[in-house]
Amino acid sequence: MVCIRKATIDDLLAMQTCNLFCLPENYQMKYYLYHILSWPQLLYVAEDYNGRIVGYVLAKMEEESNECHGHITSLAVLRTHRKLGLATKLMNAAQNAMEQVFGAEYVSLHVRKSNRAAFNLYTETLGYKIHDVEAKYYADGEDAYDMRKQLKGKQVHHHHDHGHGHGHSHAHGHHHEHGGGCCSSAEPKGIGKKEANAS
Amino acid sequence: MGASLPPKEANLFKLIVKSYETKQYKKGLKAADAILKKFPDHGETLAMKGLTLNCMDRKTEAYDLVRQGLKNDLKSHVCWHVYGLLYRSDREYREAIKCYRNALRIDPDNIEILRDLSLLQAQMRDLSGFVQTRQQLLSLKPNHRMNWIGFAVAHHLNSNASKAVEILEAYEGTLEDDYPPDNERCEHGEMLLYKISLLEECGFLERALEELHKKESKIVDKLAYKEQEVGLLLKLGHLEEGEKLHRQLLSMNPDNYRYYEGLQKCVGLYSENSQFSPDEIDRLDTLYKSLGQQYQWSSAVKRIPLDFLQGDRFLEAAENYIRPLLTKGVPSLFSDLSPLYNHPGKAVILEELMHKLEHSIRTTGRYPGREEKEPPSTLMWVLFLLAQHYDRRGQYDISLSKIDEAIEHTPTVIDLYSVKSRILKHAGDLAAAAALADEARCMDLADRYINSDCVKRMLQADQVVLAEKTAVLFTKDGDQHNNLHDMQCMWYELASGESYFRQGDLGRALKKFLAVEKHYADITEDQFDFHSYCLRKMTLRAYVEMLRFQDRLHSHAYFHKAAVGAIRCYIKLYDSPPKSTTEEDDDMSKLLPSQKKKMRQKQRKAEARAKKEAEEKHEESSAAGASKSGKRHVKPVDPDPHGEKLLQIEDPLLEATKYLKLLQKNSPDSLETHLLSFELNMRKQRILLAFQAAKQLLRLDAEHPDSHCCLIKFFHKVRSMAAPVTDTEKLIWSVLEAERPTISQLHEKSLIEGNKIFLERHKDSLMHRAAVAEMLYVLEPDRKSEAIKLIEESTYNMVPKKEALGPVWEWKLKDCIAVHKLLGTALNDEQAAFRWKVRCAEYFHYSTYFEGSRSSAKSNTAYNQICKNSENGSANHSEGGETADSLTLNGRLEAFKDLNI
Repeated sequence: MVCIRKATIDDLLAMQTCNLFCLPENYQMKYYLYHILSWPQLLYVAEDYNGRIVGYVLAKMEEESNECHGHITSLAVLRTHRKLGLATKLMNAAQNAMEQVFGAEYVSLHVRKSNRAAFNLYTETLGYKIHDVEAKYYADGEDAYDMRKQLKGKQVHHHHDHGHGHGHSHAHGHHHEHGGGCCSSAEPKGIGKKEANAS
Repeated sequence: MGASLPPKEANLFKLIVKSYETKQYKKGLKAADAILKKFPDHGETLAMKGLTLNCMDRKTEAYDLVRQGLKNDLKSHVCWHVYGLLYRSDREYREAIKCYRNALRIDPDNIEILRDLSLLQAQMRDLSGFVQTRQQLLSLKPNHRMNWIGFAVAHHLNSNASKAVEILEAYEGTLEDDYPPDNERCEHGEMLLYKISLLEECGFLERALEELHKKESKIVDKLAYKEQEVGLLLKLGHLEEGEKLHRQLLSMNPDNYRYYEGLQKCVGLYSENSQFSPDEIDRLDTLYKSLGQQYQWSSAVKRIPLDFLQGDRFLEAAENYIRPLLTKGVPSLFSDLSPLYNHPGKAVILEELMHKLEHSIRTTGRYPGREEKEPPSTLMWVLFLLAQHYDRRGQYDISLSKIDEAIEHTPTVIDLYSVKSRILKHAGDLAAAAALADEARCMDLADRYINSDCVKRMLQADQVVLAEKTAVLFTKDGDQHNNLHDMQCMWYELASGESYFRQGDLGRALKKFLAVEKHYADITEDQFDFHSYCLRKMTLRAYVEMLRFQDRLHSHAYFHKAAVGAIRCYIKLYDSPPKSTTEEDDDMSKLLPSQKKKMRQKQRKAEARAKKEAEEKHEESSAAGASKSGKRHVKPVDPDPHGEKLLQIEDPLLEATKYLKLLQKNSPDSLETHLLSFELNMRKQRILLAFQAAKQLLRLDAEHPDSHCCLIKFFHKVRSMAAPVTDTEKLIWSVLEAERPTISQLHEKSLIEGNKIFLERHKDSLMHRAAVAEMLYVLEPDRKSEAIKLIEESTYNMVPKKEALGPVWEWKLKDCIAVHKLLGTALNDEQAAFRWKVRCAEYFHYSTYFEGSRSSAKSNTAYNQICKNSENGSANHSEGGETADSLTLNGRLEAFKDLNI
């Protein structure tokens, strides 16, 4: 039904459109460029049978802190394409790459307190835990959960159906290969470093 | 730097430079002023002061100071460098390059300036210059990794990939055996993958594969490694290994269609157009059955066979595919199946299948042949699927009855309303579609998707004000009311521009189209910072792809639409200039042309003066209110929010030509590009360019009605022109005379004959008949009634259900509307237009344009029921004000009255 693959530069405009259609947190094209030119391994898209981008995950590595970890900048799936387990598949793909390529210890994300559907996906299906609450994180004043999921030594395979589609997160068979640590480098000038939620 | 100054001042000068680099502009300014007190003519200080002021948004002063500094010290590379930086900050890259070159003439080995120059060269795609500069940088600093990489990339971009490989290998030769250290493994791996991709690009496939295997342990990104490897294996024809590796990749991600495609290629079962022999279909079927057992969770493995299976096996596979998805209630099922409607025969099979399932569930609550009862929701999802099926087939009555039944079954499912809205849109009732989308929106105010969907429908229904009110519910960013533009929300700007255009508000329409154009200019600009960033970060494959993406950026669909929209606006502006309303304009009309021109010049000068004054004032006030860093954060106010000034341009066709050139360069295979080129150049009397456009149209699609019209119109116009007098005219004439025989449509035929032959070839097609009719009238105005008869005698063939295979001659609503407009305008026959309208209202009951019996343009319709239903749902815009009222029931009905007129 829907193809899950690494994003290419040519997908960025469609990813931006998808983001603007679904989510209240938006970014200029330069921020998408910044992601793909820094961590091309961490962007995935869901492309439907008509070649349309119906979902994406935009992720990054946090390289300043001492503990190397990944961060989900934004995750979106069009409302019309729910119940296919796309969010789960996209998240798994990005998380695997964080761990395999960059040797990430854990992955973090922010989610609106009121976004129950996303919260359930993160906690029940993907195994995230609340790490902290960030007061008034969003522009409209809403709080965010700062959530984390441990990656190293991850061996738990999820095979239960969670109502989000086929609900399986296929354990990719190459977890033994760890990466070469975080690449450290400063951002280019003028990147609007606006944090996002993932919903 | 600052060499000519005494020690104290020389130190101050260093402080200015440092302050500039650390963005402490106030401090820098102070230091500069201290020097200038003693040495008021010191060129480099003046220049640096200017550069600092530039960062504090005091542009005019900045340019003055930098130029003055340069004048005082023409031999200073600092002054030239600063001048270059100033231009660069204003995106005047060509000027900046000139300045840097002057600076380098004085100080040829200045690394900083060379680096800055190389960035500009990359940005402007001055590739041979880029290679040169990078070479110089490498020879000056060969111990810098970045200089090796930069030199290699430069050669690659300059179409010399093999040279780039050589450079990278030379660089590798400088590395120790135990390279890289742990913290650089990622970068090094990326560099290796880049080099291998270069080898592949050069066609050195064996070497690429060999190198890949040799460096396996140093390549960190294992997925990229495998994808690179599998690509090489396939190209080299190592199919067995390729098959094995594809299966490995599939076990990692069984939802990636490209892996399936690759696997099919490896086992010799791939076809570009998906045409397979019966034997191949058997083998594919077996392949996917075995894959299906391996990857039970993959939906791809079940969906792909629907593409190649035929007849009964297709039916069986489709049924197995569809059943569980209906039980589960997957809303995207129809859109997933919709590509199959282009396969001959499959739509009919799907329809029968859907009916079978519907019947079985209605009568027994089960799928045929099953013991288990289906949940009640299955019936609703079957109806949902059927509604979309009939929508696709253009049978809107049945479609709407199915979706209504689904809504009655479960009134709380939002998707049903969204789909009903879409059906109504297709059926031609835009207002009702918008109202339904709004109803859906009100069912979950926190979901931006249904908000956006609703905004889209409102814009289609030309309810622009309401649409904006609705959209901004999600776009508040701090104290900013609407960040749609800042966030580059192009679909919205385009839809809004198109609506304004339909409503004849050219100023606002242009404003929106040009906004989109601006986004693309900004994206081009965005790449600048990445030229150095990616060399450091070593994401070279992504970087080169990005540059190539930028090179074709303007061929993207949104840009195309925006440029087309802008050109149409300008053409319309030229055809009917805005009416003069002010007294001033009335005065103008009494003047002679030469006086008018003078007066306009005077006006322009006055405007420019006022603008400059305003700018200076603005700078002063912003300088006064500058924050600590010296940078202010005030958003500039748009001086022309409604695009009124955009309408006051002198020469709309000249403006349009700017955008046309971009289309010709970036969308040369679009009919629209050349159609617009034809329209523009005919108006500009550029005969040869118009002819070229007509020829391009013939090249792309000679049988298209528009191509035909342009061709006829062109030679008709040429025929009516006066005999050539000047040499240029004579030359044009001779070119046309030589060219005409090469056009087969008109070879040894008159235009009238050509028109007639075109009709004979396409007499079953409404739009072709309309084109011929229009041309008939153009060529022979006295045969107007014949032309109209030609259109009216077109026959509307209802497509019998079973014969849906093969070509379908049903009429499209869009085309019928175009014909109606043609009758009313070009053919200028109101009665015929009226007859056409009455006739089309029969075919399109839901069309508001034709006032169909079931459209919201008539009373007692589906639409009015919607209003009743949604009376309590229209909440949440209530910010007061008049526009909010338009959301109430009465307000809406009023909007519809307008549609009637």
